[in-house]
Amino acid sequence: MSADDPVVSMRDIDVHFQDDGGVNPFADPETVRAVDGVDLDIPENDVVAIVGESGSGKTTLGKAAVGLQQPTGGTVSFRGQDIWTAKKRFSNPSIPYSEIRRSLQIIHQDPGSSLNPHQTVEASLAAPLKKYESELGPEDREARILAMLERVGMTPPHDYAQRYPHQLSGGEKQRVALIRALLMNPDLILADEAVSALDVSLRVEVMDLMLELQDAFDTSFLFISHDLSNARYLAEHADGRLGVMYLGELVELGDAEEVLRNPQHPYTKVLKWATPSLSPDEGAAEPPVREIDIPDPVDPPSGCRFHTRCPYATEHCKEATPEQHSIGAAAHQASCFRLDDGSDYWRSDPLEGASLDADER
Amino acid sequence: MSERTESLHAIDDGEAFEAVSDTTMSREERYRRLFDRLILAPGRIVWDDLRARIGASIILLYVLVGLFGPRLYKAPRVNQGPRSVTPLSEGLAYPLGTDNLGRDILAQLIHATPSMLQMITAGGLFVTIMGVTVGTTAGYAGGRTDRVLSLITDIVMTIPGLPLIVILAALLAPQNPIVTGLILTVNVWAGLAREIRSQVLSISRHSYVEASKAMGLSTPTIIVKDILPNIMPYVLITFVNAARQVIFASIGLYFLGVLPYDSVVNWGVMIDQAVSGGAMHVVSMAHWLIAPLATITLLSFGLILFSQGTDRMFNPRVRARHSTTTGSDDEPTDDDAAATTGGVVR
Amino acid sequence: MSGRADAATVPKTDTESEVVLSCRDLSVEFRMDRGTSRVLNGLDIDIERNEIIGVVGESGSGKSMFASALLDAVVEPGVTSGEITYRPSEGESVDVLDLSDDRLRQLRWEEISMVFQGALSSFNPTLKLRGHFVETLEAHDYDVEAGLERTRELLSDLYLDPDRVLDSYPHELSGGMKQRALIALSLVLEPEVLVMDEPTAALDLLMQRSIVSLLSDLRDKYDLTMVFITHDLPLVTKLADRIGVLYAFELAEVGSTEEILSDPKHPYTRALLNSTPDIDSPLEEMRPIEGAAPDPVNVPSGCPYHERCPMATEDCATIKPDMEAASATHDVACHHWERVDDEIDLTTEVDR
Repeated sequence: MSADDPVVSMRDIDVHFQDDGGVNPFADPETVRAVDGVDLDIPENDVVAIVGESGSGKTTLGKAAVGLQQPTGGTVSFRGQDIWTAKKRFSNPSIPYSEIRRSLQIIHQDPGSSLNPHQTVEASLAAPLKKYESELGPEDREARILAMLERVGMTPPHDYAQRYPHQLSGGEKQRVALIRALLMNPDLILADEAVSALDVSLRVEVMDLMLELQDAFDTSFLFISHDLSNARYLAEHADGRLGVMYLGELVELGDAEEVLRNPQHPYTKVLKWATPSLSPDEGAAEPPVREIDIPDPVDPPSGCRFHTRCPYATEHCKEATPEQHSIGAAAHQASCFRLDDGSDYWRSDPLEGASLDADER
Repeated sequence: MSERTESLHAIDDGEAFEAVSDTTMSREERYRRLFDRLILAPGRIVWDDLRARIGASIILLYVLVGLFGPRLYKAPRVNQGPRSVTPLSEGLAYPLGTDNLGRDILAQLIHATPSMLQMITAGGLFVTIMGVTVGTTAGYAGGRTDRVLSLITDIVMTIPGLPLIVILAALLAPQNPIVTGLILTVNVWAGLAREIRSQVLSISRHSYVEASKAMGLSTPTIIVKDILPNIMPYVLITFVNAARQVIFASIGLYFLGVLPYDSVVNWGVMIDQAVSGGAMHVVSMAHWLIAPLATITLLSFGLILFSQGTDRMFNPRVRARHSTTTGSDDEPTDDDAAATTGGVVR
Repeated sequence: MSGRADAATVPKTDTESEVVLSCRDLSVEFRMDRGTSRVLNGLDIDIERNEIIGVVGESGSGKSMFASALLDAVVEPGVTSGEITYRPSEGESVDVLDLSDDRLRQLRWEEISMVFQGALSSFNPTLKLRGHFVETLEAHDYDVEAGLERTRELLSDLYLDPDRVLDSYPHELSGGMKQRALIALSLVLEPEVLVMDEPTAALDLLMQRSIVSLLSDLRDKYDLTMVFITHDLPLVTKLADRIGVLYAFELAEVGSTEEILSDPKHPYTRALLNSTPDIDSPLEEMRPIEGAAPDPVNVPSGCPYHERCPMATEDCATIKPDMEAASATHDVACHHWERVDDEIDLTTEVDR
């Protein structure tokens, strides 16, 4: 439990959801393996962006990281202290759960439901202050709230403080949510698709604000997104990392600029293709996957989960699961057999529609 | 509502975070603001709506009569006046006439009011408190707590109501109106609990509830601040319905003779006596029956109107418009999804 | 309101291609307690046969109203005014807004078809997909057998397994599958024009991009004209031949995709491009747009963008700009479009 411990450390995290099967007692319970065997460390003052499509488990991973989702396997630790052990009543942890809870916060995707519609902005923001800075009197609380509102550009602050959420625009609501999280001086904030519901022209503004505040308050950010452009903007600006998830597994992780310039996992390459840019050149018009649809997370493919769609897949990919391989020196890793020159992959037969050297984009 | 992003003012980050007040708002000012928000604004909303205004006035009338009536008006006694007098035929001495034992009808109505109000309030509160507590706990806590509470609720709900009340009334022979009120609603709360539970289940999914949990707010705080305001309209309507149910049930049961009465003066008792005294057959005696009926109907009506009107009080959009401390401009913005509470009742 | 019936200022078309849908002074109004809300304001636009035109706007720009108006399907109590001339490949031109109910019913889906926003809940959950197609065919008195054959072909063009999909209930299909099935449903009666309002909004990246590729193929195979309405500018540039930009319920600019991307003439378009996070362009070049979009009841007089425009002059506040031709295929509604190159940098400058 030293100061060098990362803020949040996840080891071999599994989050599996059981579906009861409803009324039928003979139905097999279906297990959704939302997150499977993920390792991720988030040190102080770091920005990590996780990208994935639906069924990738990225939101579940995010919530597990901030202690809002209990993993069914593996451990989540805050500065060395297992979060869920600390929550148990008689465990006598070295870091009390209340402190952990304060240090891990969340900003939601939908600004419309992230604020209590019955409370004014001031009331919503006073709640964390009342709990964690109880020595502040009501005037001091108000002053702090007004100062923070002004800091994020909502002026005149008096006016905004008395408004109800329905009197704010989407961007304004997100800013209030951001202030609410920051007022507790957390060590890590989970931004769960925080800009996806906003208009395109507003996204850069809110992301800029997040970056500014991240820098000023020394908070780490875990930014979840299905949009690679947004994730890239945030991660690269902060010199942070980018991770890619597919069907519950973290398939690539590394320095954001590096991952995008030199993607190693076939799925990352596909995501890059799928993210349209403003340049008029077309790129390949056909999707570079063998199968457009994502497999059902209840029954993920065997071996490497991407093998059903990968343009480079072989028989070996169907049978064995690839390990994480490091590329270069800069902590860039990806789970693909192609990174291992000695792997059996190179000797096995390609699957239908795939080839060992499928055309690169 | 333009967004300005000149966020780099003279305030630097450390300052914003450490800011404390350099003026002290006087206590007076603070209380005034609190008063405006908690009492004046809702009051204004209620007054604004005609139904609520009428309903509130009616209820207020009954409450006042209940509080002061017995002190100000004579008590009913046998033979205090000539028998079976029609209303106003003796001037103002017996404004609603007398019954077949010479008791002043208006006096009976007035003196029965306190105990009726006690019964109604007891029954209504019991249903509401039990229903909300059980329903919210089951819906919010989930898991085993939910299963156990739901099981209890289901059992209570399926016990036949009328036979249960009849048996309890026979066993306990209640004289105290509060006890009567409780008996009459003994299994009504279960239905409300079920409905509240499903409401709470869907409200708990809202992001702000998760945000409150992430902030580490205590469960009671979350329930009071985040969950309850969303179910308040529902709760209010149920309180009113329960109150009405108590009224009608009590009258029905007195009428049937299940609930005992000796000298208890009660609107239901009056109806019973009026019917057995022949008020349904003799036109000149009709006033004896109509008076308590009208009294009951009016109270019931007042309760309904009031509940319809106050429903708006819990809608934050309406509150914002009526509060003087917020801007009056509450134009909906582009990304307003469906209203967060029920639609405005108009 | 200014009428813009002057044909000379309307976006020109090639002498070779015809115009299949032509809108003049198209407006949609809602009368509300607090004033009249004009959610579409005097649009003039020509849609050429067999082209894919993208209409881009942010939320509150009026784009969904535009989609509904094209089929005269604006919800009550909205009032649509103006003229929409539809010129089928065979037969006479008609004004869509003037048609009888019967004729309108026939026009919709048989000639002009639509894929709605939020379409994932458009299916009846109690009917299998086959039932939906049969219902549509029967409602328009089409041959069901032949229709189902066509359906199967459409579904496999969209990379769906026809047997599996037709025999499934909607909840058994994923979002991407439902969306593609909806596109097939909208094409089953062989329309000439397909209007799509944010058809890919709720879908995954890969699926969005794949559907966009598929649409291009469908256009070629079935001789369609497509109107693709969205807020996602980068996405539509991969599909559209021309792009129209909507701002505050009016058309700010229309031009070929290349022109709009590399040399937009309207200040709003420039600002929009600058503020869109883009995977390829350098980071420093993305900047937000100051200010907010106007309220439909309170649209400022003159140019709707003047309050946020860095080039605005006094004229802009009082005189509404007409559409002027910046090139043979590029029209822009701005008083100062000629100066825009000097005054507003396009940070996403891309080499032609």
